Amino acid sequence: MSQQGEVLVLDDEPIVCERLMHHLEKHDFSVETFTESPKAIDRLAEKTFDVVVTDLKMRGPTGLEILHYVRDHQPGTQVIIITGFASIDSMREAEYGGVFEFVPKPFQMERLTSLVKKASRKARKEHPKERA
Amino acid sequence: MAEAGEMLGGEYVFDTQYLKTLATGLEEAMHRVVYHLQAITGRRNQDLFDTVWVIAGEIQAAIESRLVVPKGDLVIPIDRIDQELAEAVGDKMARLGEIKKHLGCRVPDGFVVSAYACQQFLEGVGIDPTSPDNPTETLRELRRRVRDAPLPKELARDIRQGLKALDRSGGCDLLAIRSSALGEDGQTSFAGLYETVLGVAPENALHAYKRVVASLYSDNVVAYRRRRGLPPIQGLMPVGFLKMIPAHAGGVAYSLDPTRPEMDVIVVSASRGLGKTVVEGSAPVDTFEVSRQPPHEVTARRIANKEAAYVADLEMGLHRVLIAEAERRSPAITDEQIAKMAAATLMIERYMKRAQDIEWTVDDEGRLHILQVRPLPLPASERPVGRMIQNAASQYPILLDRQGAVACRGIGFGRVHVVDDHGPTEPPPRAVLVARTSTPRLAASLAEASAVITDVGTATGHLAAIAREFRVPTIVDAGDATRVLETGWEVTVDAEENVVYRGRVDELLRFRLMQQSTFEERLEFRLLRRILHRIAPLNLVDPESPGFTAANCTTYHDIIRFAHEEAVRELISGRWVRTPRGESAVRRLILEIPLDLVLIDLGDGLRQGLGTRDAEVDDIECAPLRALLQGLLSEGAWATDPADMDLEGFMASATRAGALTGPLATRPEQNLAILSDEYLHLNLKLGYHFNIVDCYLADQRNHNYIYFRFAGGVTEITRRSRRAVVLRRILEKFDFVTEGSGDLVIGRIKKISRDEMVDRLQMVGRLIGFTRQLDILLRDDALVDRSVNLFLQKVYDESGK
Repeated sequence: MSQQGEVLVLDDEPIVCERLMHHLEKHDFSVETFTESPKAIDRLAEKTFDVVVTDLKMRGPTGLEILHYVRDHQPGTQVIIITGFASIDSMREAEYGGVFEFVPKPFQMERLTSLVKKASRKARKEHPKERA
Repeated sequence: MAEAGEMLGGEYVFDTQYLKTLATGLEEAMHRVVYHLQAITGRRNQDLFDTVWVIAGEIQAAIESRLVVPKGDLVIPIDRIDQELAEAVGDKMARLGEIKKHLGCRVPDGFVVSAYACQQFLEGVGIDPTSPDNPTETLRELRRRVRDAPLPKELARDIRQGLKALDRSGGCDLLAIRSSALGEDGQTSFAGLYETVLGVAPENALHAYKRVVASLYSDNVVAYRRRRGLPPIQGLMPVGFLKMIPAHAGGVAYSLDPTRPEMDVIVVSASRGLGKTVVEGSAPVDTFEVSRQPPHEVTARRIANKEAAYVADLEMGLHRVLIAEAERRSPAITDEQIAKMAAATLMIERYMKRAQDIEWTVDDEGRLHILQVRPLPLPASERPVGRMIQNAASQYPILLDRQGAVACRGIGFGRVHVVDDHGPTEPPPRAVLVARTSTPRLAASLAEASAVITDVGTATGHLAAIAREFRVPTIVDAGDATRVLETGWEVTVDAEENVVYRGRVDELLRFRLMQQSTFEERLEFRLLRRILHRIAPLNLVDPESPGFTAANCTTYHDIIRFAHEEAVRELISGRWVRTPRGESAVRRLILEIPLDLVLIDLGDGLRQGLGTRDAEVDDIECAPLRALLQGLLSEGAWATDPADMDLEGFMASATRAGALTGPLATRPEQNLAILSDEYLHLNLKLGYHFNIVDCYLADQRNHNYIYFRFAGGVTEITRRSRRAVVLRRILEKFDFVTEGSGDLVIGRIKKISRDEMVDRLQMVGRLIGFTRQLDILLRDDALVDRSVNLFLQKVYDESGK
């Protein structure tokens, strides 16, 4: 297991997945990436992650639906939503749904990494037993 | 535009959606610009709408379809090729052109028959290369159809012309016809699946071309495509026609040993004659392990018993010859040649930012030629994991930690070389260049550098743009790098995390070499680069030249520049602005300094009853213009004699250099003031720089503001950037909030009292006079402080503070 945490990245644009994977792995996260949300949900049903980084708008279940799924099934897991279209409504709904952070695209790699680190620490505090 | 350029540095994560938003936003803005220009000029320059439409169309097409077939030339000479043409010439040829153009590598002369040409050809044969249909005929029939079809006339003609042009440049007469297929997703590797024909005589070149195109439908390729879930017969084949080098020896170099990447060695395989033996693995060849550290000694060698060699000549084409018994066990290449090859391999690897697989040949005169370059796939299991990197990195002293901004991502290692313009030595190759600002010497040495760090600068600046072009890891605005880092130190620059380590962090460097793909290779980055080509270059520079016309606008930047100039001309002409009595509201201002200023009075900006005569300073009722002129006309503000400015020594040298003549003279009808009693918009073009002042001055402090914008200049970017620093420092002294990048400065101040406004506008007036010559004077950084102080001194003396 990696020291920093386990991260699931979901974005229908492969470039986002690949660049995040490269960068987060360098920071000692273990990373799984998905470009289709149903497959990501299947994986979330099998495994508890520390952090889920997801796009907002996708074909199939959206980032908000991912957020709700995670809240219902893995309460400790922190969700970061990245998006090119941040409407006030979706931000409010994400806020209400307990999103860890909302990040508009394009974003700086450094910013996201430090958010993932914080989110992972929080997750590990909140569900340490599950992980033992 | 600047923001989009910054994205190319890899620091930001963006996606196709960003590109779409960028394109739409710019298109809308351009439509507004042209629409407003029409309104001002009365429907002249109607063509500009078409220009916007064409550019926007090209940008859209580039973004929307992933397999874009760029229309255009059927045949493209190798000298014109680089990575940006990858969609036209295929990845293989694009990389070859790129290393020639950017790294100066010796590659075979030749040309590429483009993807567009291939599309024309296949469509003529009745195949739709973009359709994902399954073939109704067998693959064998399909291949035969392609091989037997005649080429379109135009294409055959262009290829013959290309061949003729090659003949004239001498050398071997045979050709290598190489496949350079388009990787649809930029990732899928079809290495070795397509055909390459060696030793082709020019008269057989057209036939060989068809053979290579037909290999799109080889059994192996189609099976591979099916396995990868790709449409089986989709795709296009750009084809390289390269002159064959008379080969003394040939082979392959791996920049890392794929089976033992941690060993830090280059692996070279060599055969006599053409490298075909090595590529095919058809007979034993020599192998060498070579140190990655200069002087690249051979650390291990295995010399094979080489019985035969492939050669190509005009009489026999490609054939095998036996090697004389006595020579069979001697190495195919010398250690000296190996060292040169190692250096070239590492140069290419550094540029491509990951491990490389390079096909080479050494000619009869012992010169090294690069035939092919591609990423070397390394097993992911060998890649250092995050913990190893973090642990390894923590062993090394950190010299700079998150100081400044990353302008181009990447990881570099080398010896520090602190660059200053007065220093005697050129930086050695592979150095980590460290400089206070972006000096010209820095830009000149950049292509060879492992990394660059500057104390000041921005990620949108000129140096950053060059660094991205050469893909050199770059950190700017690091504050005190020149103080912390000393020439000769070995450092590892991690321009991903923005950290500089003392020593060589091997795990970090290896992690870089073993990455799956670099951000520069990604489709989105290539798209952005292509889009920027239609947006950012400025071709219309001189408004006085006859070429400064709407028809010559080829980029968005051109259109903006042209529209600006046209609008100002139109306003000044007076046709547009009329007083209520129908008289022209436009008149000249008589000044004792040679500033040809045209006034447009929107109301109460000038004394009543002037008739048609020119205005004098006393006629001005516009409060902000009065204040500004007080400053501009104060003693010594508009310095015509350099000595007046008290800049003594360095002024004198600038004068000697003759630098003060020419560009400083103002041209007629370039300076415009739009005014009312409380409002002023000043649009100045002095020499080659643009200066805009927009302000409102009244009793009610909430409405008061000054907007000051300054850009351009005649000297190179470094001096202009220094001038920008001077301007910002001065403006900030007077409480302006400033921003800018490169040579652009914007200063804003608002909600200040009438007295404070008058004070600031007087200062701005002085500043306009002061900056006329500033960029020419600012030969080095030390003069920045002096200039700021000198200016402040003058202002304080004058105001008696």
